[in-house]
Amino acid sequence: MKNRYVVKFAGQSGQGINLLGKFFSSSLKNLGHYIFAYREYPSIIRGGYASYQIDVSSENISASSKKCDILTCFAKEAFDEYIYFVNKNGVILHSIKDISLDKKEENFLKGNNIQLEYFDLETITKKNKAPLVMGNVVLLSAIFKLLNLDVKPLEEVIVGHFKNKKRIDLDAERRCIQAGYNFNFSDTTKVKKLSLGKEKNWHNSSILSGNDAIALGAITAGCRAYYAYPMTPATSILATLGNTYQETGIIVKQAESEITAALMVLGSMYMGTRAFTATSGGGFDLMTESISFAGIAEIPLVIVLGQRAGSGTGVPTWTGASDLDVALHAGHGEFPRCVMVASDAIDSYELIQDAFNIAEIYQIPVILLTEKQVAESLFNIRSLPRAKKIERGLITNGQRRYEITKNGISPRWLPKKGKTTYLTNSDEHDQYGISTESESEIVMMSEKRERKIKTLSRALPPPKYYGPKDPTIVFVGIGSTKNAVLDAMKITKRRVGCLHYKYVYPFKKEKILEFADKKVKIVLIENNQTNQLGKLIKEQGGIYIPNTLNKYDGRPFFVDDILNYLKK
Amino acid sequence: MSITIDSYNTDVKNTWCPGCGNFNIHLALKKALAELKKDPSEVVITFDIGCNGNGGDKIKAFNIKGLHGRALPIAIGAHLANREMTTIATIGDGGCLHEGIDHLIHGIRSNYNITVLIHNNQNFALTTGQITSTTIKGKRMYGFPHGKTEGDINIGELVLSLNPSFYARGYSGDCIHLTEIIKEGIKHRGFSVIEIIQLCPTYNREFSHDVASKLVKKVDVSDSIEKARKHILNSKNLSIGVLYQNKKLTDYYSSLKNRKSIKTELVDEVKRKNISNILAKL
Repeated sequence: MKNRYVVKFAGQSGQGINLLGKFFSSSLKNLGHYIFAYREYPSIIRGGYASYQIDVSSENISASSKKCDILTCFAKEAFDEYIYFVNKNGVILHSIKDISLDKKEENFLKGNNIQLEYFDLETITKKNKAPLVMGNVVLLSAIFKLLNLDVKPLEEVIVGHFKNKKRIDLDAERRCIQAGYNFNFSDTTKVKKLSLGKEKNWHNSSILSGNDAIALGAITAGCRAYYAYPMTPATSILATLGNTYQETGIIVKQAESEITAALMVLGSMYMGTRAFTATSGGGFDLMTESISFAGIAEIPLVIVLGQRAGSGTGVPTWTGASDLDVALHAGHGEFPRCVMVASDAIDSYELIQDAFNIAEIYQIPVILLTEKQVAESLFNIRSLPRAKKIERGLITNGQRRYEITKNGISPRWLPKKGKTTYLTNSDEHDQYGISTESESEIVMMSEKRERKIKTLSRALPPPKYYGPKDPTIVFVGIGSTKNAVLDAMKITKRRVGCLHYKYVYPFKKEKILEFADKKVKIVLIENNQTNQLGKLIKEQGGIYIPNTLNKYDGRPFFVDDILNYLKK
Repeated sequence: MSITIDSYNTDVKNTWCPGCGNFNIHLALKKALAELKKDPSEVVITFDIGCNGNGGDKIKAFNIKGLHGRALPIAIGAHLANREMTTIATIGDGGCLHEGIDHLIHGIRSNYNITVLIHNNQNFALTTGQITSTTIKGKRMYGFPHGKTEGDINIGELVLSLNPSFYARGYSGDCIHLTEIIKEGIKHRGFSVIEIIQLCPTYNREFSHDVASKLVKKVDVSDSIEKARKHILNSKNLSIGVLYQNKKLTDYYSSLKNRKSIKTELVDEVKRKNISNILAKL
């Protein structure tokens, strides 16, 4: 693919594939290249196959190509899975002893001129007095030789990573790096050289996952407590906040269930600190009652919903975006809410800050959707944007906690000694919070709450349009679909645009109606089967989009998927 | 202005049945808080859904009437955010032992510094008298003419099996004694579980004040789980008092390593924080 070089590490789950991916990513970044890294792994601790693919480019990228130029393979299961994802004229570096290929595999390699290079890691590590587990470093540094890259950045990254770890022989690591770099490749093994431009001072750029960005955004926004129950792909937020809790002072609590986590958030937010929880679909289902409670009692609530493929347990470690419907509708009764969707690290960092502000100002539940593809992929950015201002909408003291107001927002003051006490009530209530069954009070209070949606809608930014002024085709989507489209736009010659929604509900319909009027071809792009965004656009904007590009196989949209669609 | 029971009264009309144990429980709670010189604005009380939950607007404090069975996690979240407030969770035997039993178990295990009042009236009363795990065996209940099929949960046994830091039992028919117990619970630094044997003259008529007052027996505070268990399992009497207290267990927040040197409460800390150091280490 134009302006891209792709390396994939594959092996059994538990063979250190993640670490290799991260080492390679950081080294290439330090060499001045942009990277985007994507993980595939099974929902088991040992065995199966896992991969880490790093796309390298001279410009900003945030989606993967479907195929790689170099496949580095440590296990036969992984080899069998990924052999057909190697580009023409590519190379496979592997450490699989006595590998046997079937006819189909042989023909594929031959037909595509793919070279196979075997590394006898047992002998190499023995010769270099290193434990066998360090063997994967040999293959890693061999890539640097193959691509004629300076290996020093790799050594720095590896030593930097291990220097504070006990029982790691750094000299043995260095010997393995050298052994890989001095590897005698067979004459036939050649790849196209990495001829990508370099970015100035790019070694100062950052590599982080969407989940890292959510954790950082929460810390920035003054969040002081995180309550959660582990569930892929939200789990690593717990790790990032937990591993930094000493310096942040944040309370990180692994609650006994998602029900508890959501309610603890409500207790803390009610009291006046900032707290949030994150989960995936199954855990989110358990939080449903809390969302409804927050809605009527007007307690700020922030939930991150990390989507993965499937219903039930689904395909736990694979990506998808089929939880917009549940985010929009979770919770009985009618109450206002805000739903936003993150597409990359910068979005994640900014939207979680917005989520806290909106939850507090409007006193509503805010659901921030992310997806495995965003949560766990590595994004390479120059720097994080400036922190947003903390806005809480608080007053010092008041009388009527649920006062009927024109914009729907009632005065909120925090529980504190000397302040007017009030009842925060999940029963329908009057302006003081006292339970009511009066017809007129029920209507007044329901309408007051619903008015917040209009007020909030006015405050939210419209969707962002990327692309030429006169596109012939415009993709409309949320979440990571944008990344594949934007990356494809850098390659295709067609006049492609992309309309991307971050703030999904309340829905802003104006922009999509403009395109509908222009008679441009609009294509709905969704990582689900039933066009959940399309349904929302129909409901809120009144337009039906017949052209759709869907994917619901646990994989994200690859750049190739978009290019292939455009060829049709 | 001195704080009295009246400081805690609201002008909302009471809706409990005549003779309901909740009148005395509320009185004892108000009296305990007043005697501890707590201003209503220093107190957070979370309420369950049910007859006890209907008390949410009948005592002046920062109250939350939340969801059935969920009084505990809301109270815990509130407590962790600001320990300057006295946090109390009130919940019925139905909500506490059925839908919310995990919260009770993990609350004891975590030893948060809050006080839990379990109103044990031996049935789901607000939904007109259904079976709970404390309902007397064989008693005709809503939809079950021959009583319950399942076994019981003995609250004291359950709590004592979890290495609690405080377990007390009071009786709604003895307001003065109950007041003292609630005061001890609030003063205790840890997860104070107070089971209140509550009269329900509508759906648990058999267990009247006449019957109950003959059974209750006041016992002294003990630091022995075994001794407390003996009191609980004694079928001849209903022992009331602080049955078990362990002052040596550290409460959850005080055990947090990252909060040791921090003097402020979480509610004072909602400020922009620089993350460049953390980003650099990722």
